[in-house]
Amino acid sequence: MNEGPLHSITALFDTPDEIIRAAEEVSRAGYTRYDVNTPYPVRGMDKAMRLRQSRLGIFTLIFGLLGTITAVGFMTWVTLVDYRLVIGGKPFWTWPAFVPIAFEVTVLLASVLTAVTMIVLYFKFPNISHPLHDTPYMKQVSSDKFGISIQANDPKFDEAAVRQLLRSLGGKEIAPIYFDAEGLSHGQRLFDPKFLGALVLTAIVVSGATYFSFNKLLFMQPFSWMSEQNKLKAQMPSDFFKDGIGMRPPVEGTVDRGFLPYPFKGKPEEAGRNLVNPLLPTPAVLARGKAKFLTFCSPCHGNFARGDSRLQGQFPNPPTLHSDKVRNWPDGNIYSVITDGQNVMPSYASQISREDRWAIILYIRALQRAQNAKESDFK
Amino acid sequence: MSTAAIDYTQEIPVVEGKPKAAEIDATVAAPLDEFPKRAWWITFAVTASMLAFGAYCAFMTVFEGLGLWGINIPVAWGFDITNFVFWIGIGHAGTLISAILFLLRQHWRTGVARFAEAMTIFAVICAGVFPILHLGRPWLPLYLTPYPNQHGIWINFMSPLVWDVFAVSTYFTVSLVFWYTGLIPDLATLRDRTTGKVKKTIYSIFSLGWRHSNRHWRHYERAYLILAGFATPLVLSVHTIVSFDFAVSVLPGWHSTIFPPYFVAGAVFSGFAMVQNVLIFVRQSFKLKHFITLNHLEKMNQIMIVTGSMVAYAYLMEFFIAWYSGNEFERFAFINRALGPYAWAYWVMVCCNVLAPQLFWIKKIRRSIPAMFVIGVLVNVGMWFERFVIIITSLHRDFLPSSWGMYYPTIYDIGILIGSFGLFFTLILIFVRVLPVVSIFETKAVTEGAQPGHH
Amino acid sequence: MSNPLPAEAVRKELPAKVTRLAWILFVLGVVFSGAGYLLDAKRSALNNIVGFMFLASLASGSVFLVALEYLAGAVWSVPMRRVSEFLAGLMPFVPLLAIPLLFHLRDVFQWTHAGTVASDNVLASKSSYLNVGFFIARFIGVFLVLNLFCFLFTRNSKKQDVTRDPRLTTINVRLAAVFMPVFAFALTIVAVDWAMSLEAHWYSTIFGVYYFAGTVLAGLAAATYIIVRFHESGFLPGLRRDHFYSLGALLFAFINFWAYIAFSQFLLIWYANLPEETFWFLNRWRDGWEYVSILLIIVHFVVPYFALLTQDSKMDPKRLKLMSLWILFAHLLDIYWLVMPSYGGGVPLSWMEIGFPILLVGLVMIVLSFKLKRNNLVPIGDPKLDRGLSFRL
Repeated sequence: MNEGPLHSITALFDTPDEIIRAAEEVSRAGYTRYDVNTPYPVRGMDKAMRLRQSRLGIFTLIFGLLGTITAVGFMTWVTLVDYRLVIGGKPFWTWPAFVPIAFEVTVLLASVLTAVTMIVLYFKFPNISHPLHDTPYMKQVSSDKFGISIQANDPKFDEAAVRQLLRSLGGKEIAPIYFDAEGLSHGQRLFDPKFLGALVLTAIVVSGATYFSFNKLLFMQPFSWMSEQNKLKAQMPSDFFKDGIGMRPPVEGTVDRGFLPYPFKGKPEEAGRNLVNPLLPTPAVLARGKAKFLTFCSPCHGNFARGDSRLQGQFPNPPTLHSDKVRNWPDGNIYSVITDGQNVMPSYASQISREDRWAIILYIRALQRAQNAKESDFK
Repeated sequence: MSTAAIDYTQEIPVVEGKPKAAEIDATVAAPLDEFPKRAWWITFAVTASMLAFGAYCAFMTVFEGLGLWGINIPVAWGFDITNFVFWIGIGHAGTLISAILFLLRQHWRTGVARFAEAMTIFAVICAGVFPILHLGRPWLPLYLTPYPNQHGIWINFMSPLVWDVFAVSTYFTVSLVFWYTGLIPDLATLRDRTTGKVKKTIYSIFSLGWRHSNRHWRHYERAYLILAGFATPLVLSVHTIVSFDFAVSVLPGWHSTIFPPYFVAGAVFSGFAMVQNVLIFVRQSFKLKHFITLNHLEKMNQIMIVTGSMVAYAYLMEFFIAWYSGNEFERFAFINRALGPYAWAYWVMVCCNVLAPQLFWIKKIRRSIPAMFVIGVLVNVGMWFERFVIIITSLHRDFLPSSWGMYYPTIYDIGILIGSFGLFFTLILIFVRVLPVVSIFETKAVTEGAQPGHH
Repeated sequence: MSNPLPAEAVRKELPAKVTRLAWILFVLGVVFSGAGYLLDAKRSALNNIVGFMFLASLASGSVFLVALEYLAGAVWSVPMRRVSEFLAGLMPFVPLLAIPLLFHLRDVFQWTHAGTVASDNVLASKSSYLNVGFFIARFIGVFLVLNLFCFLFTRNSKKQDVTRDPRLTTINVRLAAVFMPVFAFALTIVAVDWAMSLEAHWYSTIFGVYYFAGTVLAGLAAATYIIVRFHESGFLPGLRRDHFYSLGALLFAFINFWAYIAFSQFLLIWYANLPEETFWFLNRWRDGWEYVSILLIIVHFVVPYFALLTQDSKMDPKRLKLMSLWILFAHLLDIYWLVMPSYGGGVPLSWMEIGFPILLVGLVMIVLSFKLKRNNLVPIGDPKLDRGLSFRL
């Protein structure tokens, strides 16, 4: 290994008492650029080295306060400004509910940032390499010896004097430590091939993961937002049924909504005897009856029910509704004819609602009276 | 009642056998250098199978949905939340040993702190699985966090379930930082004694260039004190917030002001039982009996008496105040616990939590490995049942009898519980082979002759 | 580490003017409280409860600290333990302080009125606990037991001064183990009976723990103040900053514990918003009580928290003296806040409220002076004394 300039002279000691005494003497001798390395913190060493107390606590206080302010501020903004919601009947700004989260965020920021500050500010991360690494001195000090290293850049440094001092304190294995020449002449760290390689690898991994997540995973069950569901949609086949058809006709006995039974199918006389027109001949009802009549009945029976539509003359002729037969029919009979049909006339039940049928009947009655007006009608 | 002389004038040594620093290095680092023996592989096979079964059940839950579990109305929280609270509770012993005993200057913690902290992290990992799994869409956990979204709405900061999100994440992060910070000097020691190139590189990276400098030790010690000082109230706050999940409701049996300290005491109780149980094996397998001494185990058992008694006090207070309140629903809730369809679970809980730890008053039992192991297991069983009883009995019979129902777990519920134990023990098994189980530098610092005499 | 204290008994005396002041305060206190009873029995009875609960917590907290030291095997507190033992000597006076109350139970407790109980379902359902006979029986039982333990602890400790027998420590350790659960229930009964049942419709499972937090603080604060003063007067020369730090750290810890318990109780009741529970806090948020509530938070938590936050502040004798007195006052305020709202209508604050507090200050000083003259200030026979004196953080 290339040896650069001298970094420090080191010495090892066996007991904590010795190292404390050594530190006291070295600091009394006026050295400032020196360090003590111990496998565990030795009580009283800070005093022996005349070191000030660590100021890390100040950072903790700042980060902690930052955490509290951020948490409370954010929650206040959310609940009071951005989106006000009444939750549990409580006021918008509910400070008791903020306490747990504010506490947690305070602790989180204070603790984590304190550790980070220690590592970055005091341990000088990421510039962590040091001439003492990988030396026999470090191996010993990591295990069971206590060491002191007086740096060459101390203003009072003189190699012979330092060696003498360390020897007089009982130091063993007094050895010089050199800077690593390679390390000193290291090029720009930024373009270190390993670092670039790590960057490229990270880029590949991240983009691969992103692509997979957004282009593949979000289309796979069950992450695909329920876009594919195990339900039958219109016109889909289905294995569940023997014929493989998904769409099924209504089951035997299904009735329509609003279904009412009609017991007089094919029995016009009974219908005539039992059914009563529920509607009254008001202008509104008659107008409705007229409209429906003109729509459904007039094409065959004529505009005035005289049987004089364009079908007149064809066989069989749609009869006039002003015959004595029809005039003497009870309303229910006409209702039966509209509902079931008669001869060539088909059933109009699916086209004309029940109420409309009664309205039409009222209109027919009006027409019948109009076409057979008597003297007394004018009075 | 013998008053055999205890010598009060002498400190009980924290580390037995007066090992030298180099010996400590060698003993603690030994498992990291050796290839695992058969016993480790067999245990690993068992725990890995448990984990695999649990992973399968969890996968099916995510894929098919929560209908695979036994939860329904009225018992909408079953094994999921029981296990969540159980594992968070287990984690608390680690932080207590590490942080609170540090603040109380109890030097005996050095033998067990590292391991206990690791256990905390693993327990919190196990716990964290459950809130995620019990979501309807577990792949959208981001919804639990306050990120700006196109709906324009935020999470409900009033809800203790949201407080849980912050509490558990903070707890995990801070425990991890605390544990890692404690590891740095040991990683440096390992770096300096290992010969394998790969290991050396890994240790070098993770030890952050630590060189045992006293100028760094002073900041390190301050940081450690600060972390311990924060971790202590954090422990209390996390299980308090978990207890708020229940206590802020109006449900009889849940809405009780003593829940926060009661839950914390119970968590420490079950956590210590778990630590004690696992340490019995670790100290045996890795020849660490001088560092994890019988005195350590005895102290843990004594803490179990204290916390167990606090739990017993809470049971009695709840019962008394339920009667005192005159509220018929409160009174019924407690009668139902003792005499209703889940009475068997209640009595298991009482016997294991109240009666079993009282045996530790007897010194012989306190210092007997087989006895303490059994009691530790019983305590864990009892504490699991305590959460089960609290959750299920209050949910399954609350105000309106027509809404009453029963809860029966399915194989998936049970499988995930087994899997969580598998995960926990698998992580421990990996940990003991990869990192030093005992804190090397802390142990060195408390052996006799480690600190200078006073002048 | 050499023991700077002599091997024989350490007998000290409080200066005569202190003892004189004590008697003046005591007599004044008796006069004020007596006058108060003549003028407004209910108000004075409530003040009596405040005084009684304060003294009970001071005495119980002290015996708790003694028991805790034995049970935990603590070493740092051994040189100072006698101070807590002297304060535990207040225990016989606690039930005496409650005697005037026993004649005025009807003035403060609704559940003592048969008519009220008969027409109130809730009170009727708990009348098997809240009735005068059982109440008095519990009162006698609790203070018999507490006094018994105080007596036993201190007797064994005193005997050890003479016999130097380490087995007495073992006996006290075992006694402490039995004491703890008994203490938990005794303290809970005091809190539930004398404070919680003032508003008998209300209940809270954490109430005993709340009173316990204040109790430990009272015992700690009183002991800390006396210890620091004694050290400054040369009565306890062997103590160092390390000892004071432990006292300060415990004070800080229990301030936080109190705040935690108080906030838990509040948050849960506030959140669920059940009228049968919230009325208790609402009573402490109207007619001027809201200012007392806010004052309580500031005095009992915010100020002591920041005053004892840093490591240095925990070791500083001046800070410790100030904060121990402050915390004692805060504890009095706490009990006042618990008890007085049942007077109804506004915050009672006049010469009538001063009676019992100054009576207690006088009483504590008198008892302390008495004990100091007749007892050894340092537990010279305790086997852990040397370790205690050489204790370092």
